[in-house]
Amino acid sequence: MARTRRPRRPRLTIGLLVLASISIITLDYRGDAHGAIGHLKSAASDAFSPVQRVVDDVTHPIGSFLAGAVNGAEIERDNAKLRQEVGRLQGQVLAHRATANALKAIDQLNHLTWTEGIPTVTAQVIALNSSNFAATVELNVGSRRGVTAGMPVVGGAGLVGQVISTTSTTSTVRLITDAGSAVGVRYGPTSLELALAQGDGIGKPLDINFISPGTPLHTGEVLTTSGLQNGLFPPLIPVARITSFRSTASSTQENVSAQPVADLAQLDYVDVLQWPPAG
Amino acid sequence: MTSSDLARSTMALFVVLAVQQTLLDSVRVAGAHPEAMLLLPIAAGYVAGPERGAGFGFAAGVLADLFLPTTFGLSALVGCLLGYGTGLATRGLVRSSWWLPPIVAAGATSVGLALYAILGAVLGEPGVVTTSLAPALAVATPAAVVLATPVVRLVSWALRPGAAGHSSGVSSGAR
Repeated sequence: MARTRRPRRPRLTIGLLVLASISIITLDYRGDAHGAIGHLKSAASDAFSPVQRVVDDVTHPIGSFLAGAVNGAEIERDNAKLRQEVGRLQGQVLAHRATANALKAIDQLNHLTWTEGIPTVTAQVIALNSSNFAATVELNVGSRRGVTAGMPVVGGAGLVGQVISTTSTTSTVRLITDAGSAVGVRYGPTSLELALAQGDGIGKPLDINFISPGTPLHTGEVLTTSGLQNGLFPPLIPVARITSFRSTASSTQENVSAQPVADLAQLDYVDVLQWPPAG
Repeated sequence: MTSSDLARSTMALFVVLAVQQTLLDSVRVAGAHPEAMLLLPIAAGYVAGPERGAGFGFAAGVLADLFLPTTFGLSALVGCLLGYGTGLATRGLVRSSWWLPPIVAAGATSVGLALYAILGAVLGEPGVVTTSLAPALAVATPAAVVLATPVVRLVSWALRPGAAGHSSGVSSGAR
Protein backbone atom coordinates (compact mmCIF):
# COMPACT_ATOMS: atom_id res chain seq x y z
CA MET A 1 0.00 0.00 0.00
CA ALA A 2 1.37 3.31 -1.06
CA ARG A 3 1.79 5.80 1.78
CA THR A 4 1.68 9.50 1.23
CA ARG A 5 4.38 11.54 2.97
CA ARG A 6 2.97 13.92 5.50
CA PRO A 7 4.44 17.40 5.45
CA ARG A 8 6.62 18.26 8.43
CA ARG A 9 4.74 20.09 11.06
CA PRO A 10 5.77 23.69 11.66
CA ARG A 11 4.81 23.30 15.31
CA LEU A 12 7.31 20.49 15.77
CA THR A 13 10.03 22.62 14.16
CA ILE A 14 9.36 25.67 16.30
CA GLY A 15 9.12 23.46 19.37
CA LEU A 16 12.53 21.92 18.70
CA LEU A 17 14.11 25.29 17.91
CA VAL A 18 12.71 26.90 21.07
CA LEU A 19 13.98 23.93 23.07
CA ALA A 20 17.42 24.27 21.47
CA SER A 21 17.49 28.03 22.22
CA ILE A 22 16.46 27.53 25.83
CA SER A 23 19.11 24.82 26.22
CA ILE A 24 21.81 27.18 24.90
CA ILE A 25 20.60 30.00 27.16
CA THR A 26 20.58 27.65 30.18
CA LEU A 27 24.12 26.43 29.45
CA ASP A 28 25.35 30.03 29.15
CA TYR A 29 23.39 31.20 32.20
CA ARG A 30 24.61 28.41 34.46
CA GLY A 31 28.16 28.87 33.23
CA ASP A 32 28.50 25.19 32.23
CA ALA A 33 29.50 26.03 28.67
CA HIS A 34 30.96 29.47 29.37
CA GLY A 35 34.44 28.46 28.23
CA ALA A 36 33.25 26.88 24.99
CA ILE A 37 30.92 29.80 24.19
CA GLY A 38 33.71 32.26 24.99
CA HIS A 39 36.06 30.47 22.61
CA LEU A 40 33.36 30.39 19.93
CA LYS A 41 32.72 34.14 20.31
CA SER A 42 36.44 34.83 20.31
CA ALA A 43 36.98 32.80 17.14
CA ALA A 44 34.03 34.49 15.40
CA SER A 45 35.27 37.95 16.38
CA ASP A 46 38.83 37.17 15.24
CA ALA A 47 37.55 35.81 11.93
CA PHE A 48 35.34 38.83 11.34
CA SER A 49 37.69 41.61 12.47
CA PRO A 50 39.64 41.78 9.15
CA VAL A 51 36.36 42.39 7.29
CA GLN A 52 35.44 45.02 9.86
CA ARG A 53 38.81 46.75 9.48
CA VAL A 54 38.67 46.74 5.65
CA VAL A 55 35.16 48.21 5.57
CA ASP A 56 36.13 50.71 8.28
CA ASP A 57 39.17 51.76 6.23
CA VAL A 58 36.90 52.29 3.22
CA THR A 59 34.05 54.07 5.00
CA HIS A 60 36.11 56.21 7.42
CA PRO A 61 37.61 58.52 4.72
CA ILE A 62 34.14 58.87 3.16
CA GLY A 63 32.81 59.99 6.52
CA SER A 64 35.68 62.44 6.90
CA PHE A 65 35.08 63.80 3.40
CA LEU A 66 31.40 64.25 4.10
CA ALA A 67 32.35 66.13 7.25
CA GLY A 68 33.94 68.68 4.93
CA ALA A 69 37.54 68.06 5.91
CA VAL A 70 40.33 67.85 3.39
CA ASN A 71 42.81 65.33 4.80
CA GLY A 72 40.17 64.93 7.47
CA ALA A 73 41.22 61.48 8.60
CA GLU A 74 44.71 62.65 9.59
CA ILE A 75 43.41 65.76 11.34
CA GLU A 76 40.80 63.68 13.15
CA ARG A 77 43.52 61.31 14.36
CA ASP A 78 45.64 64.22 15.62
CA ASN A 79 42.60 65.78 17.30
CA ALA A 80 41.74 62.49 18.95
CA LYS A 81 45.26 62.15 20.33
CA LEU A 82 45.24 65.75 21.57
CA ARG A 83 41.83 65.22 23.19
CA GLN A 84 43.23 62.16 24.91
CA GLU A 85 46.26 64.14 26.12
CA VAL A 86 44.11 67.02 27.41
CA GLY A 87 41.79 64.53 29.06
CA ARG A 88 44.70 62.77 30.72
CA LEU A 89 46.01 66.09 32.10
CA GLN A 90 42.53 67.04 33.33
CA GLY A 91 42.34 63.64 34.95
CA GLN A 92 45.63 64.25 36.72
CA VAL A 93 44.40 67.62 37.98
CA LEU A 94 41.22 66.03 39.32
CA ALA A 95 43.17 63.16 40.80
CA HIS A 96 45.59 65.54 42.51
CA ARG A 97 42.65 67.51 43.90
CA ALA A 98 41.13 64.31 45.26
CA THR A 99 44.52 63.31 46.64
CA ALA A 100 44.92 66.62 48.41
CA ASN A 101 41.51 66.15 50.04
CA ALA A 102 42.40 62.68 51.17
CA LEU A 103 45.74 63.84 52.60
CA LYS A 104 43.94 66.21 54.93
CA ALA A 105 42.37 63.29 56.75
CA ILE A 106 44.86 60.49 56.39
CA ASP A 107 48.45 60.72 57.53
CA GLN A 108 49.74 57.72 55.73
CA LEU A 109 48.54 57.16 52.19
CA ASN A 110 50.81 54.47 50.91
CA HIS A 111 48.09 52.99 48.76
CA LEU A 112 47.37 56.13 46.74
CA THR A 113 47.26 55.40 43.01
CA TRP A 114 45.69 56.71 39.86
CA THR A 115 47.17 55.55 36.60
CA GLU A 116 50.68 56.41 37.77
CA GLY A 117 52.58 53.26 38.51
CA ILE A 118 50.00 51.01 36.88
CA PRO A 119 51.04 49.49 33.53
CA THR A 120 48.69 50.60 30.76
CA VAL A 121 47.87 49.48 27.24
CA THR A 122 46.75 52.29 24.95
CA ALA A 123 43.91 51.23 22.70
CA GLN A 124 41.66 52.67 20.04
CA VAL A 125 37.88 52.34 20.13
CA ILE A 126 36.96 50.50 16.93
CA ALA A 127 33.24 49.91 17.44
CA LEU A 128 30.42 51.20 19.59
CA ASN A 129 27.82 49.05 21.30
CA SER A 130 26.83 46.07 19.14
CA SER A 131 23.63 45.57 21.10
CA ASN A 132 20.86 48.08 21.67
CA PHE A 133 20.52 46.58 25.14
CA ALA A 134 24.07 47.09 26.47
CA ALA A 135 26.39 50.12 26.65
CA THR A 136 29.68 48.67 25.43
CA VAL A 137 32.57 49.60 23.14
CA GLU A 138 35.11 47.43 21.38
CA LEU A 139 38.87 48.10 21.56
CA ASN A 140 41.58 47.10 19.10
CA VAL A 141 43.67 45.31 21.74
CA GLY A 142 43.06 41.88 23.22
CA SER A 143 44.67 39.06 25.13
CA ARG A 144 47.72 39.13 22.83
CA ARG A 145 48.58 42.55 24.35
CA GLY A 146 47.95 41.37 27.90
CA VAL A 147 44.38 42.60 28.25
CA THR A 148 42.09 40.36 30.32
CA ALA A 149 38.50 40.55 31.53
CA GLY A 150 38.07 42.69 34.63
CA MET A 151 40.69 45.32 33.79
CA PRO A 152 39.57 48.95 34.30
CA VAL A 153 39.59 51.29 31.29
CA VAL A 154 40.25 55.02 31.59
CA GLY A 155 40.04 57.74 28.98
CA GLY A 156 39.63 61.46 28.88
CA ALA A 157 39.59 62.65 32.45
CA GLY A 158 38.49 59.50 34.22
CA LEU A 159 36.98 56.05 34.37
CA VAL A 160 35.36 54.72 31.20
CA GLY A 161 34.43 51.17 32.19
CA GLN A 162 35.71 47.67 32.61
CA VAL A 163 36.79 44.96 30.17
CA ILE A 164 34.17 42.17 30.17
CA SER A 165 35.55 39.89 27.45
CA THR A 166 38.54 39.59 25.16
CA THR A 167 39.60 37.87 21.97
CA SER A 168 43.22 37.66 20.89
CA THR A 169 43.02 41.03 19.09
CA THR A 170 39.98 42.84 20.52
CA SER A 171 38.24 43.42 23.82
CA THR A 172 34.75 44.49 24.86
CA VAL A 173 34.37 47.17 27.52
CA ARG A 174 31.21 47.70 29.57
CA LEU A 175 30.83 51.47 29.99
CA ILE A 176 30.02 52.94 33.41
CA THR A 177 26.71 54.17 31.94
CA ASP A 178 25.55 50.59 31.25
CA ALA A 179 22.62 49.61 33.44
CA GLY A 180 24.64 46.64 34.69
CA SER A 181 27.59 48.76 35.83
CA ALA A 182 28.10 49.61 39.52
CA VAL A 183 31.24 51.38 40.74
CA GLY A 184 32.07 52.06 44.37
CA VAL A 185 32.92 55.75 44.83
CA ARG A 186 34.18 58.17 47.49
CA TYR A 187 32.90 61.69 48.07
CA GLY A 188 32.84 64.41 50.67
CA PRO A 189 35.39 66.97 51.84
CA THR A 190 37.80 64.28 52.98
CA SER A 191 36.86 61.69 50.32
CA LEU A 192 36.04 59.21 53.05
CA GLU A 193 32.30 58.81 52.48
CA LEU A 194 31.27 55.85 50.32
CA ALA A 195 28.51 55.47 47.72
CA LEU A 196 27.69 53.41 44.63
CA ALA A 197 27.60 54.90 41.10
CA GLN A 198 25.19 52.91 38.95
CA GLY A 199 24.67 53.24 35.20
CA ASP A 200 21.27 54.15 33.80
CA GLY A 201 21.78 53.77 30.06
CA ILE A 202 23.72 55.35 27.22
CA GLY A 203 23.99 59.14 27.45
CA LYS A 204 22.22 59.31 30.80
CA PRO A 205 23.78 60.51 34.07
CA LEU A 206 24.83 57.99 36.72
CA ASP A 207 22.62 57.33 39.73
CA ILE A 208 24.58 57.72 42.97
CA ASN A 209 23.11 55.50 45.65
CA PHE A 210 23.52 55.05 49.40
CA ILE A 211 24.03 58.73 50.28
CA SER A 212 22.05 59.66 53.40
CA PRO A 213 19.39 62.40 53.06
CA GLY A 214 20.68 65.82 53.97
CA THR A 215 24.33 64.97 53.38
CA PRO A 216 26.20 68.19 52.47
CA LEU A 217 27.03 67.94 48.75
CA HIS A 218 27.77 70.48 46.07
CA THR A 219 27.27 70.53 42.33
CA GLY A 220 30.50 69.81 40.49
CA GLU A 221 31.92 67.68 43.29
CA VAL A 222 34.08 64.93 41.84
CA LEU A 223 33.46 61.32 42.85
CA THR A 224 36.43 58.98 42.71
CA THR A 225 36.73 55.21 42.81
CA SER A 226 36.72 53.85 46.34
CA GLY A 227 39.28 51.12 45.79
CA LEU A 228 36.94 48.75 47.63
CA GLN A 229 34.79 46.05 45.89
CA ASN A 230 37.68 43.59 46.40
CA GLY A 231 39.97 45.92 44.47
CA LEU A 232 37.96 45.88 41.22
CA PHE A 233 39.22 49.39 40.46
CA PRO A 234 42.32 51.20 41.75
CA PRO A 235 41.41 53.94 44.26
CA LEU A 236 40.96 57.65 43.42
CA ILE A 237 40.24 57.41 39.70
CA PRO A 238 37.82 60.29 38.91
CA VAL A 239 34.45 58.79 37.93
CA ALA A 240 31.79 61.51 37.75
CA ARG A 241 30.81 65.05 38.75
CA ILE A 242 27.64 65.63 40.74
CA THR A 243 25.09 67.47 38.60
CA SER A 244 22.06 67.43 40.88
CA PHE A 245 20.94 66.26 44.30
CA ARG A 246 17.70 66.44 46.24
CA SER A 247 15.80 64.62 48.93
CA THR A 248 12.26 64.68 50.25
CA ALA A 249 11.02 64.20 53.79
CA SER A 250 10.21 60.54 53.10
CA SER A 251 13.45 59.77 51.23
CA THR A 252 15.66 57.05 52.63
CA GLN A 253 18.56 58.37 50.58
CA GLU A 254 19.60 61.50 48.70
CA ASN A 255 18.67 61.39 44.98
CA VAL A 256 22.00 62.21 43.37
CA SER A 257 22.84 62.33 39.65
CA ALA A 258 26.36 62.64 38.29
CA GLN A 259 27.83 63.06 34.82
CA PRO A 260 30.83 60.87 33.93
CA VAL A 261 34.01 62.98 33.78
CA ALA A 262 35.17 61.04 30.71
CA ASP A 263 33.33 62.07 27.56
CA LEU A 264 31.88 58.66 26.67
CA ALA A 265 30.30 59.98 23.46
CA GLN A 266 33.70 61.02 22.06
CA LEU A 267 35.89 58.05 22.88
CA ASP A 268 38.74 57.48 20.47
CA TYR A 269 41.79 56.43 22.46
CA VAL A 270 41.69 54.93 25.94
CA ASP A 271 44.08 53.28 28.38
CA VAL A 272 43.48 49.79 29.70
CA LEU A 273 44.92 49.56 33.22
CA GLN A 274 46.63 46.23 33.75
CA TRP A 275 45.10 46.04 37.17
CA PRO A 276 44.37 42.44 38.07
CA PRO A 277 40.88 41.94 39.42
CA ALA A 278 40.80 40.26 42.79
CA GLY A 279 40.19 36.56 43.06
CA MET B 1 17.62 21.80 1.20
CA THR B 2 20.30 21.52 -1.49
CA SER B 3 23.89 22.69 -1.07
CA SER B 4 23.10 25.60 -3.38
CA ASP B 5 20.21 26.66 -1.10
CA LEU B 6 22.49 26.40 1.90
CA ALA B 7 25.18 28.48 0.20
CA ARG B 8 22.67 31.21 -0.71
CA SER B 9 21.23 31.27 2.81
CA THR B 10 24.70 31.44 4.37
CA MET B 11 25.68 34.24 2.01
CA ALA B 12 22.55 36.23 2.87
CA LEU B 13 23.23 35.81 6.61
CA PHE B 14 26.84 36.98 6.31
CA VAL B 15 26.04 39.92 4.02
CA VAL B 16 23.52 41.29 6.52
CA LEU B 17 25.88 40.56 9.44
CA ALA B 18 28.69 42.46 7.68
CA VAL B 19 26.42 45.44 6.95
CA GLN B 20 25.21 45.43 10.57
CA GLN B 21 28.66 45.18 12.13
CA THR B 22 30.46 47.63 9.88
CA LEU B 23 27.93 50.27 8.89
CA LEU B 24 24.68 50.11 10.86
CA ASP B 25 26.35 49.80 14.28
CA SER B 26 27.87 53.24 13.61
CA VAL B 27 24.53 54.85 12.76
CA ARG B 28 23.26 55.80 16.18
CA VAL B 29 20.70 58.13 17.63
CA ALA B 30 20.42 58.41 21.42
CA GLY B 31 22.81 55.47 21.68
CA ALA B 32 20.60 53.11 19.64
CA HIS B 33 21.18 51.75 16.14
CA PRO B 34 19.19 49.95 13.39
CA GLU B 35 18.73 46.18 13.78
CA ALA B 36 19.18 44.54 10.37
CA MET B 37 19.83 41.12 11.94
CA LEU B 38 16.32 41.22 13.41
CA LEU B 39 14.92 41.74 9.91
CA LEU B 40 16.29 38.38 8.71
CA PRO B 41 13.78 36.16 10.57
CA ILE B 42 11.00 38.63 9.76
CA ALA B 43 11.84 38.52 6.04
CA ALA B 44 12.21 34.73 6.11
CA GLY B 45 8.82 34.27 7.78
CA TYR B 46 7.23 36.70 5.33
CA VAL B 47 8.82 35.13 2.26
CA ALA B 48 8.89 31.41 3.12
CA GLY B 49 6.35 30.78 5.86
CA PRO B 50 6.48 29.94 9.55
CA GLU B 51 8.61 26.79 9.45
CA ARG B 52 11.46 28.11 7.32
CA GLY B 53 11.12 31.48 9.03
CA ALA B 54 11.74 29.81 12.38
CA GLY B 55 14.78 27.88 11.09
CA PHE B 56 16.31 30.90 9.35
CA GLY B 57 15.57 33.06 12.41
CA PHE B 58 17.31 30.58 14.70
CA ALA B 59 20.42 30.56 12.46
CA ALA B 60 20.46 34.37 12.21
CA GLY B 61 20.03 34.64 15.98
CA VAL B 62 22.90 32.27 16.80
CA LEU B 63 25.12 34.21 14.39
CA ALA B 64 24.13 37.54 15.97
CA ASP B 65 24.69 36.15 19.47
CA LEU B 66 28.34 35.46 18.61
CA PHE B 67 28.94 39.22 18.45
CA LEU B 68 26.73 40.44 21.30
CA PRO B 69 27.65 40.89 24.96
CA THR B 70 24.17 39.79 26.09
CA THR B 71 23.10 36.23 27.07
CA PHE B 72 24.09 33.69 24.41
CA GLY B 73 21.02 32.11 22.81
CA LEU B 74 18.66 35.03 23.50
CA SER B 75 18.75 36.29 19.90
CA ALA B 76 18.30 32.71 18.65
CA LEU B 77 15.16 32.30 20.75
CA VAL B 78 13.75 35.66 19.65
CA GLY B 79 14.75 34.95 16.02
CA CYS B 80 12.94 31.62 15.75
CA LEU B 81 9.82 32.93 17.50
CA LEU B 82 9.80 36.04 15.31
CA GLY B 83 10.27 34.08 12.06
CA TYR B 84 7.52 31.68 13.05
CA GLY B 85 5.17 34.44 14.21
CA THR B 86 5.70 36.58 11.11
CA GLY B 87 5.09 33.55 8.88
CA LEU B 88 1.83 32.76 10.68
CA ALA B 89 0.63 36.36 10.82
CA THR B 90 1.24 37.06 7.12
CA ARG B 91 0.14 33.67 5.75
CA GLY B 92 -3.18 34.86 4.40
CA LEU B 93 -1.99 38.18 3.03
CA VAL B 94 -1.95 38.93 -0.69
CA ARG B 95 1.60 40.04 -1.43
CA SER B 96 0.93 42.47 -4.23
CA SER B 97 1.70 45.77 -2.53
CA TRP B 98 5.16 47.32 -2.34
CA TRP B 99 4.32 48.87 1.01
CA LEU B 100 3.48 45.60 2.75
CA PRO B 101 7.07 44.47 3.62
CA PRO B 102 7.96 47.81 5.31
CA ILE B 103 4.79 47.71 7.41
CA VAL B 104 5.31 44.07 8.38
CA ALA B 105 8.98 44.80 9.16
CA ALA B 106 8.15 47.79 11.37
CA GLY B 107 5.49 45.92 13.33
CA ALA B 108 7.52 42.75 13.72
CA THR B 109 10.67 44.70 14.70
CA SER B 110 8.76 46.38 17.53
CA VAL B 111 7.45 43.02 18.71
CA GLY B 112 10.91 41.45 18.40
CA LEU B 113 12.63 44.21 20.40
CA ALA B 114 9.97 44.08 23.12
CA LEU B 115 10.29 40.29 23.27
CA TYR B 116 14.08 40.56 23.47
CA ALA B 117 13.87 43.11 26.28
CA ILE B 118 11.29 41.12 28.27
CA LEU B 119 13.21 37.83 27.93
CA GLY B 120 16.42 39.68 28.77
CA ALA B 121 14.82 41.12 31.91
CA VAL B 122 13.59 37.64 32.90
CA LEU B 123 17.18 36.39 32.53
CA GLY B 124 18.46 39.17 34.75
CA GLU B 125 19.88 41.61 32.18
CA PRO B 126 19.66 44.96 34.05
CA GLY B 127 17.75 47.93 32.64
CA VAL B 128 16.78 46.39 29.30
CA VAL B 129 13.08 47.25 29.61
CA THR B 130 13.30 50.44 31.67
CA THR B 131 16.35 52.01 30.01
CA SER B 132 17.22 50.51 26.62
CA LEU B 133 13.90 49.53 25.03
CA ALA B 134 12.50 53.00 24.27
CA PRO B 135 15.53 54.32 22.30
CA ALA B 136 15.88 50.96 20.53
CA LEU B 137 12.23 51.09 19.42
CA ALA B 138 12.53 54.74 18.38
CA VAL B 139 15.53 54.06 16.12
CA ALA B 140 15.16 50.46 14.93
CA THR B 141 11.47 50.65 13.95
CA PRO B 142 11.78 53.49 11.41
CA ALA B 143 15.06 51.97 10.20
CA ALA B 144 13.21 48.69 9.59
CA VAL B 145 10.87 50.51 7.21
CA VAL B 146 13.86 51.69 5.16
CA LEU B 147 15.77 48.40 5.28
CA ALA B 148 12.78 46.07 4.77
CA THR B 149 12.71 46.04 0.97
CA PRO B 150 16.41 45.21 0.37
CA VAL B 151 16.46 42.60 3.16
CA VAL B 152 13.24 40.94 1.91
CA ARG B 153 14.70 40.88 -1.62
CA LEU B 154 17.91 39.28 -0.35
CA VAL B 155 16.10 36.67 1.77
CA SER B 156 13.68 36.03 -1.07
CA TRP B 157 16.67 35.25 -3.32
CA ALA B 158 18.19 33.03 -0.63
CA LEU B 159 15.04 31.03 0.19
CA ARG B 160 13.14 31.19 -3.11
CA PRO B 161 13.34 27.51 -4.19
CA GLY B 162 11.02 25.34 -2.14
CA ALA B 163 9.32 28.21 -0.35
CA ALA B 164 6.17 26.16 0.09
CA GLY B 165 2.91 27.99 0.36
CA HIS B 166 4.44 31.45 0.07
CA SER B 167 5.35 33.50 -2.91
CA SER B 168 8.00 36.17 -2.77
CA GLY B 169 6.34 39.36 -1.68
CA VAL B 170 8.75 41.70 -3.33
CA SER B 171 9.42 39.97 -6.62
CA SER B 172 5.71 39.80 -7.31
CA GLY B 173 4.90 43.18 -5.81
CA ALA B 174 4.26 46.64 -7.22
CA ARG B 175 2.32 45.52 -10.21
